[in-house]
Amino acid sequence: MKRFLLPLLVAFAASPAWAGIPAESEDCLGCHSDPDQTYDLPSGEKLSLYVNQEAFAKSVHGEMLRCTECHTDKTSDHATGELKFKTRREVTRAYYEQCKGCHFANYTKTLDGVHFAVMAKGNDKAALCVDCHGAHDISRPGQPRARISQMCSGCHGKEAAIYARSVHGRLAGSSSDVPVCTDCHRAHDTTDPRDGALAARTPEICGRCHTDEKLMKRYGLSTKVVDTYLADFHGMAASLQQGKKKGPGVRLAAVCTDCHGVHDIEKSDSPNSSVMAANLQKTCAKCHEGASESFPKAWLSHYEPTPEKAPIVWAVQLFYKLMIPFMVGGLVLQIALHLWRVVVNR
Amino acid sequence: MSNYIVRFSLKQRIEHFVTMTTFAALCLTGLPQKFYTTGWAHTFVDLFGGIDNTRWIHRFFGVVLALSTIVHFASGIAAILSRKIGFSMVPTKRDFEDAIQQLRYYLGMTDQHPQYDRFTYKEKFEYWGLVAGNVIMVVTGFMLFFPVKAATLIPGQIIPAAKVAHSNEGLMAFFVITVWHIFNAHLNPDVFPFDASIFTGKVSRERYVHEHPLELARLEGGLPPDAHGHAGHGDAPPGHGGKRVVG
Repeated sequence: MKRFLLPLLVAFAASPAWAGIPAESEDCLGCHSDPDQTYDLPSGEKLSLYVNQEAFAKSVHGEMLRCTECHTDKTSDHATGELKFKTRREVTRAYYEQCKGCHFANYTKTLDGVHFAVMAKGNDKAALCVDCHGAHDISRPGQPRARISQMCSGCHGKEAAIYARSVHGRLAGSSSDVPVCTDCHRAHDTTDPRDGALAARTPEICGRCHTDEKLMKRYGLSTKVVDTYLADFHGMAASLQQGKKKGPGVRLAAVCTDCHGVHDIEKSDSPNSSVMAANLQKTCAKCHEGASESFPKAWLSHYEPTPEKAPIVWAVQLFYKLMIPFMVGGLVLQIALHLWRVVVNR
Repeated sequence: MSNYIVRFSLKQRIEHFVTMTTFAALCLTGLPQKFYTTGWAHTFVDLFGGIDNTRWIHRFFGVVLALSTIVHFASGIAAILSRKIGFSMVPTKRDFEDAIQQLRYYLGMTDQHPQYDRFTYKEKFEYWGLVAGNVIMVVTGFMLFFPVKAATLIPGQIIPAAKVAHSNEGLMAFFVITVWHIFNAHLNPDVFPFDASIFTGKVSRERYVHEHPLELARLEGGLPPDAHGHAGHGDAPPGHGGKRVVG
């Protein structure tokens, strides 16, 4: 026990918090502590050479990393040298590569992500590690959770604003029950939403929360939404379309987001909800051109067919539940008797 | 005396062939949609080039089945009206008596096998089951093919009910064919391994004596062994010692 207490006591005694961090051991901060020190890049941009020691000390790396562990090419005499970078973005892109030295698993995941894919196609602005996590001021991700969505809003402002007004976004500041961007889109292997692959996964993504009994009870929501969806026409078609991508002439079956919306999801009883009874005809008509007023009744609204909710469907189901075993059983019995007599006659 | 009887006309043989092929195609493209969570369903759907293709194939054969059903009804009604055919397919009280007698025979409660006319109760049962099934499948199938149009004509809730009926009726038909029809046309010791009569139209006279003695007697101008009751059923055709080997 004493072995653990001692460093803890030392840590408390050492005040201010940044005193004695490893980064100090290399004398880098001797030059890089001037907030006004900049370098003029060929692009005309000014590259700040300032490192906020306090912020770095508080960061997750403050107590473990020395400067040269990320800035591996820097030696004590680099002050006179020319930088090989032409733009600020080039600087960022060069140093983000260092993250993989330790965070290899997450780095590898990003190679499957949409940000990496668009970067490979030449989009300079595609998010890199440091764009989301920060550089010298990296803190634990998701603390607080709402910060994640704020981070994404830096580039995806339009989507973030729509999300912030939705049933999920409105609660994101005060509750960890609701999803933030990365819960659906993932953090490192962020899926490209444009080819339909992400949409195809929504029954599973939405289902993670919407089949959770404890969580849904808190809001009085049904946990049967995924099962009832899968049991119906759309769910069946979507299941058989797995792995198929959207494209010319390919229309994928409706998934959660096609009816409920994506970033603008609302409570189903809200007047603005696309699945509110009064709005449903219009929502169906998005795919089912000319849908009449009675057309939405063809969908059982995520209810299982019961005598109360859908008596006709329930009755037909019950009829066949009895009829099929009766019919098949009767025929098998007659065949068995027939063969029995054949054997007896021999 | 000819040694075979022409039991099925060319039209009937063509109708059977169309029904057989469309039924097989509809099962192959339909059942994977019902059991879409299973691995084999995905294998079949991939084989047909995806779910959209599978559905178009299914709809194509569905339309063929619908047309063949309509043609069958129309020609049947026309033939009855012009008195070319009788009501030999209509179930009668006699069929129920035959069924009971047949079961008593199977159970060993009697040695008298029922004497059948042109169609046995088993054939009538399968025929009317197929007719009723076809009507249900065609009507519900078109509702699912054109749900938007259907919803303008009928209450919306009928459409999911139609889906339940279509998928269950289809499964039941599949079972009836694979169990009952395959037994009667292939595995039944009387015809094993293959009763070809629905393809050739012909049945040997020897078999006809066993299976449709009343019709045979009428065709050949003689009197049926017993036209009115079952009392004489024990007097089976010569050479069978009063006891039939199989039904």
